[in-house]
Amino acid sequence: MAIQLEHVSYTYDARSLLRQTALQDVNLELAEGLLTGIAGSSGSGKSTLLQLLNGILLPTEGAVRVLDMTLAAGKKPPKLAPLRRRVGLVFQFPEQQLFAETLEKDLMFGPVNFGAAPEDAAARARKALKQMGLSEGLLSRHPLQLSGGQRRKAAIASVLAMDPDILVLDEPGATLDQISRMELTSLLHYLCREEGKTIIVVTHHIDELLPYADRWVIMHEGRAVFHGTRRGLVDEAERLPGCGLSIPQPIRCWRELEAAYGLQAEEPCLSPSALADRMVRLASAAAGKERVYA
Amino acid sequence: MKAGKTRLQKKTVPTEIHGDASTPDGIEPTESIENIEADMVVMEKVSFAYDGQCADIHNVSLSIGRGEWVTLAGANGSGKSTLIRLMNGLLRAGSGSITIGGTKLEPGAIGGIRQKVGMVFQNPDNQFIGATVEEDMAFGLEGLCLDAEEMRSRISRYASSLGISDLLHRHPQELSGGQKQRAAVAAILAMEPELIILDEASSMLDEMARRDWLSLLREMHSEGRYTLLSITHDAEEIAASERVLVMHEGKLAADLMPGELFRSEELLRMCRMVPPFRTQLALELEKRGIRPADAGLGSGTVNMDLEDERIWPFSWNM
Repeated sequence: MAIQLEHVSYTYDARSLLRQTALQDVNLELAEGLLTGIAGSSGSGKSTLLQLLNGILLPTEGAVRVLDMTLAAGKKPPKLAPLRRRVGLVFQFPEQQLFAETLEKDLMFGPVNFGAAPEDAAARARKALKQMGLSEGLLSRHPLQLSGGQRRKAAIASVLAMDPDILVLDEPGATLDQISRMELTSLLHYLCREEGKTIIVVTHHIDELLPYADRWVIMHEGRAVFHGTRRGLVDEAERLPGCGLSIPQPIRCWRELEAAYGLQAEEPCLSPSALADRMVRLASAAAGKERVYA
Repeated sequence: MKAGKTRLQKKTVPTEIHGDASTPDGIEPTESIENIEADMVVMEKVSFAYDGQCADIHNVSLSIGRGEWVTLAGANGSGKSTLIRLMNGLLRAGSGSITIGGTKLEPGAIGGIRQKVGMVFQNPDNQFIGATVEEDMAFGLEGLCLDAEEMRSRISRYASSLGISDLLHRHPQELSGGQKQRAAVAAILAMEPELIILDEASSMLDEMARRDWLSLLREMHSEGRYTLLSITHDAEEIAASERVLVMHEGKLAADLMPGELFRSEELLRMCRMVPPFRTQLALELEKRGIRPADAGLGSGTVNMDLEDERIWPFSWNM
């Protein structure tokens, strides 16, 4: 198990009158090598949850186990550097993670900091930049000379350059244009499938991640109210509006189709092309049947 | 924030804004009468380069009338944010002229122009100043030299219209991304600017909040007091606006109606946008030799040539 949360609660300002409980008794097990999507309305505790995963926040109750480390409430945490090398976190506003005077230095900072040789770090920086679809011409630029979207991609690249085992992203696509968002999603899918990374993505665009995510977690008012497969999410989609989320279009379409054809046992097709393929097969099956009767 | 609760609070917006419009305050009435005919934004042959050499904005001319709701679309890095930063003097154009609400943008006029232009940026963290949401809203109002009573009433009015009344005493950093964005918008609206520029202000909002956000924009627009210029990648938000300006590589590539944008594959590609899910599905089916009825893409009911009608149980509109 890559990540395990046991009865985890987190309260901001726990010792003051202003305390705000952000997470309440969360129990989750996120398996290694899977892509997990996390959704929930604003204020549901998604970002707090992510920050527990590499020790930025420590649980106020319960225990968080990440890889071979345990962060338990009230206990002195282990050394966090190894954890942070293996868990790369891309924040909600990743552009704030940029601080060096050129993009290249920024991308190299992580690898160098965790002990990579400068040449190796430079090579990793270039690879990560390419993975994010940015041109090498930007390497010499100051981060502030990049556009909002480029900055965001650069910040994601700076985490990719560290080559973490677990990649945690908090709404990485929020200010990207749609195509960039889709490219990012397929990159994450690739990293998960081909390089065996464990990927956890918080998203407001459930529909775009649906074809790729293996598992889903739905957060609502600090609790994990759903945790399961794509099939499970489709089956329990009526619960989404109660959590401040609307039912994504692909799920609506699929449910209409499965209700009409009794496909409830099937793995749902949730991308336009997969859904179209399935419909064509249904149509030809229906046409074949007709021919037999005639 | 519970979405249901927010929506209830939203309902009070139109009446409140109306009530407020009848009591002239904040903006000098004489000035607005004087300039009432002038377009809100006029840019003539504006160019700009960050490094002084390669033009990030190239020879852009445009005008936006008062009360219009305009979307600025384009791929990441096409110059959208740069263009709007030129409009209130955050960046200084290399050449060309910019007029905001009839006042030419020049060094002495920037203060006055900034009072007319409210900007909400991509990242709300960049515009929080106060230690609480309430203080943050008050900061802008203090800058306008309003009396305490007026400040209090505006803060409570705009906080409730954005559903953040409960958050007024919280530190901005304790809020979630979506809550922060609403707090930032409330602080701008409280200053009652004429031109509101939204730089992907809805990008951090979740789906439900985005719907509330859209109805807030609609209300603001129908009230007629604001000119809205919004940078967004959100298809619904683009569709709701009246006019789209498409930026491409620092140039104005198109000026058209939202419907026209969605019909133009070339422009969509230029803006790096994809059509809505059902339209994509129709296109995929078409590729496989299944043609939806003519009206197909985007509107109308679809019936199929194939035997089984149940294949199309969908209501064919978004």
